[in-house]
Amino acid sequence: MAKKAPKIQEPKEIKQYLVGVYGTEEQILAVTAAVVQAGLPVHDTFTPYAVHGLDTAQGLPRSKLTYVTGIGGLLGLLTALTLQIYTQSIETPFWSGWPLNVGGKPFMPLTAFVPVSFELTVLFGGLITVGGLLSFCGLLPGRKPRLHIEGVTNDRFAIALDPTGLHFDEAQAKTLLSEHGALEIAYVEENA
Amino acid sequence: MSSTASHLREPLVTGNPTLAQISDEVCAPMERKPSWMWWTAFLLALSALIAGFSAIGYQLYNGVGTWGLNKTVGWGFDITNFVFWIGIGHAGTLISAILFLFRQKWRTSINRSAEAMTLFAVLCAAIFPFIHMGRPWFGAYWIMPYPNMRGPLWTNFRSPLVWDVFAISTYFTISAVFWFVGLIPDLATVRDRAKTALRKKIYGVLSLGWSGSNRHWVHYETVYMLLAGLSTPLVLSVHTIVSMDFATSVEPGWHTTIFPPYFVAGAIFSGFAMVLTLLIITRKVLSIEHLITLNHLENMAKIITATGMMVGLAYGTEFLIAWYSGSNYEGFVFFSNRATGPYAWAYWTMISCNVIAPQVFWFKKARRNIYVLFFFSLVVNVGMWFERFVIIVTSLHRDYLPSSWAMYNPTWVEYTTLLGTFGLFFTLFLLFTRVLPVVAIGEVKAVLGFARRHPETTSQPHAVTAQPSPAAARVEVAHG
Repeated sequence: MAKKAPKIQEPKEIKQYLVGVYGTEEQILAVTAAVVQAGLPVHDTFTPYAVHGLDTAQGLPRSKLTYVTGIGGLLGLLTALTLQIYTQSIETPFWSGWPLNVGGKPFMPLTAFVPVSFELTVLFGGLITVGGLLSFCGLLPGRKPRLHIEGVTNDRFAIALDPTGLHFDEAQAKTLLSEHGALEIAYVEENA
Repeated sequence: MSSTASHLREPLVTGNPTLAQISDEVCAPMERKPSWMWWTAFLLALSALIAGFSAIGYQLYNGVGTWGLNKTVGWGFDITNFVFWIGIGHAGTLISAILFLFRQKWRTSINRSAEAMTLFAVLCAAIFPFIHMGRPWFGAYWIMPYPNMRGPLWTNFRSPLVWDVFAISTYFTISAVFWFVGLIPDLATVRDRAKTALRKKIYGVLSLGWSGSNRHWVHYETVYMLLAGLSTPLVLSVHTIVSMDFATSVEPGWHTTIFPPYFVAGAIFSGFAMVLTLLIITRKVLSIEHLITLNHLENMAKIITATGMMVGLAYGTEFLIAWYSGSNYEGFVFFSNRATGPYAWAYWTMISCNVIAPQVFWFKKARRNIYVLFFFSLVVNVGMWFERFVIIVTSLHRDYLPSSWAMYNPTWVEYTTLLGTFGLFFTLFLLFTRVLPVVAIGEVKAVLGFARRHPETTSQPHAVTAQPSPAAARVEVAHG
């Protein structure tokens, strides 16, 4: 009987990125455009605030979260209408709310259902949008940043290149990064 | 890098600070020990809070009879305070959502604290509908529709009071979420500069692992816009629905179709007055006068004057319609009771504080004088409290049946409860200045380029500067 080989824990592959750090918004915009033009694989850029134009420079598509909001809002609207019509208007032997006669008001006054329908549309739309943001970005309480670059939440702007990506050329990348005035160029490890 | 300052506009933030300076200055109050001024204010606020909640306990134990309400005046301080606090809350959302959609970049310095104020004000407001039920533990099935063992017997969705429950709870939830989303990048800033392990841990958990990644920023900016888009009609709907609590009744003085816009204008008016009061103190105590500048205060004073006149127009319209409709009851409420009856002092206090006083802000000198701003912001707060008191009490106390006319005399329990909500409001606000960045760091950093060369935004009017074409600027940057 063949002896079972002892299980050896494979060392976890820790990914590294070539990171260039800059001091101004103009530099990160210029270097990102240049790196993309040179065809080098951009992993991501990191900034202390939303830099306008950086998404186009980096070639990022528009966020699809608008559709999430739309679906969330519709869901809220349907919930509100179902809740109100069911509880106030429906009376069948099988499936029944409890329509009450209040001062002879109609049982299904759709105009009176508008305020609650609107509020639940907004409530569901808003909450589902934020849920979408967290899941699209992988943000959760207790998570650590995947790639933590010193200073990017304060006053630094960074670009991370993927050395395992297509057409990565270390020498060319380093030259490009330093040409644009990088304060620092280094490999940074991803958090496991 | 040469900076080409705009000649058309003053910078939003004075002193030309660097990005790191903004982080340092906004985070400093959270990282140092609180001053004696903070402690004094905090203890005062906390005492008021304790007094107020004791009064609420006393009222809940003994019943609503401890209030000065009677059969004729069934709504008094409770609903006055409710509408007052809800109104205060409106400025925060206006600043964070509506001014965002209108690209009013000056909002960035004040939106965080205004949104915090909104949340605390809505909390204060929410207390009153609960306690005025007398037995709030039954409140759950009076107001929330949930399957129950009584049939199930559901809430009546044809009632504006139920609409209000949905409006207020949605408003609070969405404002809280909007506020938190805005905080995420700033919490990451605080996390990354934290000195102690505990601090790192707490802000690490709160910041959800934010890394500043541009892939995240793209989603984030979209969500911010979407939430602003959702909050804008929401904020208008909330006070509209509050006004419907009155407008859908047949009470003269309440039964008015102009109530929704009139209430919304009043809410923004009172909210800005409260933001002004708070920020004048906050910017001084936290020494962030260059972030929240006189320009910000001046802009708010302008909004106060504008909304104050809208409110004045509404007061006038009510009188016009009372006369022009020929309705005896309407005429009585406005001409014989509000303006000249036993509560005329409250009516004229309201007119002086809300319509006459804000006219002082036509003068630039007044708009840029801290003391004048502070004094008149308090005056407007008082005036707007009286507006709600006048609407509620003067309509109720002399109704259709003269034999049931009565006066309303609030008791110490009601006064103490009102004091308690101020205590709650200021306690929460003072705690907020200690534990969270009071200025939106990320957003202020983004507008620093406002007065500098900013090649990406040449299509916007503020970038009309003496600079070469954007393409040339980009090339220059690339070679610089």
